[in-house]
Amino acid sequence: MMVIRPISDGDLSALVGFAKGSGVGVTTLPDNPELLEQKIFNSVRSFRRSQPKDRCNYVFAMEDTERSAVVGVSAIDANVGREEVWYNYRICKVVHASREIGVHTSNKMLYMTNDLTGVSELCTLFLDERARHGNNGRLLSKCRMLFLAEFREYFSEKIIAEMRGVSDQNGISPFWESLGKRFFQMDFSYADYQVGSGNKELVAELMPKYPIYLFFLSPEAREAIGQTHEYTRPALAMLQKEGFHFNGYVDIFDAGPVMESFVEDIRAVRESRIVSYHIDDAYEPSLGERTDFVASNRSMEHFRAVLLSESQVAAGHVRLSSKQADALRLEPVSDLRIIPLRY
Amino acid sequence: MHLVRPCTHNDVSSIESLVRDNHARISSLPRKRERLAERIEQSIRSFQQDASLGDGQFFLFVLEDTNTGQLLGCSGIAMNNEPKRPFYNYRMDEMIHASERYDVHTPVSVLHLTHELTGRNVLCSFAVRPYLVGSALFELISRARLMFMRQFAASFSDQLVVELQGVYGDEGQSAFWDSLGRNFFNMDYASAEYHVATKSRTLLAELMPVHPIYVTLLSKQAQAILGKYDESATETHNLLQREGFKPSPYIDIFDGGLVMLARRDKTRTFQEACVKTVRTGSVETGLQHIICNDQFENFRCGMVQLTDGLGEILRVDEAAMSQLRLDDGNEYYFAKL
Repeated sequence: MMVIRPISDGDLSALVGFAKGSGVGVTTLPDNPELLEQKIFNSVRSFRRSQPKDRCNYVFAMEDTERSAVVGVSAIDANVGREEVWYNYRICKVVHASREIGVHTSNKMLYMTNDLTGVSELCTLFLDERARHGNNGRLLSKCRMLFLAEFREYFSEKIIAEMRGVSDQNGISPFWESLGKRFFQMDFSYADYQVGSGNKELVAELMPKYPIYLFFLSPEAREAIGQTHEYTRPALAMLQKEGFHFNGYVDIFDAGPVMESFVEDIRAVRESRIVSYHIDDAYEPSLGERTDFVASNRSMEHFRAVLLSESQVAAGHVRLSSKQADALRLEPVSDLRIIPLRY
Repeated sequence: MHLVRPCTHNDVSSIESLVRDNHARISSLPRKRERLAERIEQSIRSFQQDASLGDGQFFLFVLEDTNTGQLLGCSGIAMNNEPKRPFYNYRMDEMIHASERYDVHTPVSVLHLTHELTGRNVLCSFAVRPYLVGSALFELISRARLMFMRQFAASFSDQLVVELQGVYGDEGQSAFWDSLGRNFFNMDYASAEYHVATKSRTLLAELMPVHPIYVTLLSKQAQAILGKYDESATETHNLLQREGFKPSPYIDIFDGGLVMLARRDKTRTFQEACVKTVRTGSVETGLQHIICNDQFENFRCGMVQLTDGLGEILRVDEAAMSQLRLDDGNEYYFAKL
């Protein structure tokens, strides 16, 4: 069974392994053990509520209970850009017109902003290749919606997710080639890694700060703006179904889109329900049964989430197997929060 | 003889042909006759010091061969001081995008739109018959403007501006325009230039991009001609350089052409021009000099042969005295050619 739980100190080696496998463009999972250790440390403190609220970062681990192995991680950063500067380009439209000579031209421009500073971000989604089947990806992503629904006051009203931008099999980003490279004199992967490791001063030192007219960029670069890497398209589709939309903000390096939604508009949050349960020792979900819900135990420090099948949910009440109940670490008197897995 | 004088209404068609024959485009002299006539009218009123003109005077001088009555060249001074007509340029600045930690050092040039040069007098409208380029007459028609300024120094600004023609392709296209301005004006260079020469500055305010421009993002061709001048302007450039004009970080907003600047008092003409009493006399030897009279409306400047000795008196022959409207016994400015 796949169970979501807060990441713990023992998960470092798994996380290091993911960072190596995640490739270019996943800036929040840098291939750097010290930074990852720090990330775990922050997360542990966040779930224990012993971290200052504006520095909270919640990392969720997905554990395969049969193998006792962590097979994936996802995270919510409560407050981006608090200890560093958070940069995005905003795509603006600029119209120049002269009635006197009958001219009306419209151009697009990239404007560097820190607009998204302070918002909460869904980040660091990584699932081991061997576990990429069934509803595991959905569970790993959606558990965060449950968490958001439960602990809304810990997050900003607006939630964002940065999507990996377009790059080829060699990690070459057309947008970077046309813009960033002229100023950085280094490869995208190297610059991206440095900035992902928190070295944002590199952006302050090297990145152009004045607005950039799009007509200056190569056609390939222009085409890549706001587009998602093909590997990230399923994640994008999932967010879109949740009500996330593109609002003109893109990554300053690869121009991948920033998806946005207000917490209250996220479909999973809106449709989440609090339900009672009973434990049925005789019940055992059959292997390969279709799962339709994610359930969580509503605890922060001991947050757990698992998949449920449709047959377990009826009239605001859930029937749990004893294994599921154990996995959810349920208190004697408690209830569950569930969200539908798909719409 | 050859002399420089203010233009008159009768000069319209001659100036029209000068402009037409000139390889380079002269934005201060429109090709359309009615527009050109308006410019000449403006110049005539400026020389008359017509108070109703307010600011924004424009002085157009012509070079005439008095034997044939032919016009061989023209040159102008635009006061460039109308508050309602700001003067547009780009200023090219350099930024260093550097990181000590990552051992990166990238000089980055940026173009900033500026009105900084507004109020500085502009030497403009310069054209001569093609066969005179680089000759003494070429120098005369250009420098006559500075002689005028020397004579009436209080009327002019301390700093002077010249915009040199940018580099053009065979069909009159400008790579700088194509890479930048065209995206906002949606028309070719010549049309834009025409509109700007003939209409108010409103359209520049409306259409010019206000944000700084990174040079590295311009097309390679545009970058190559930034702050350069067209081959056809080489002699003009050299003459201005000898006069003391220096290249500047300013460039033309449309064609990226070089803007040269000078402090008026440091120009060669200002430095070398002296005042002496002029008397009619017969002159057989001597060097070519430029000399001008002291009349604003009836300004004359010409090339005469004279000997500038230790004495306080210059001798100029009678024909030149009368053509240049010099009065025997008065003091006048003159300078070596």
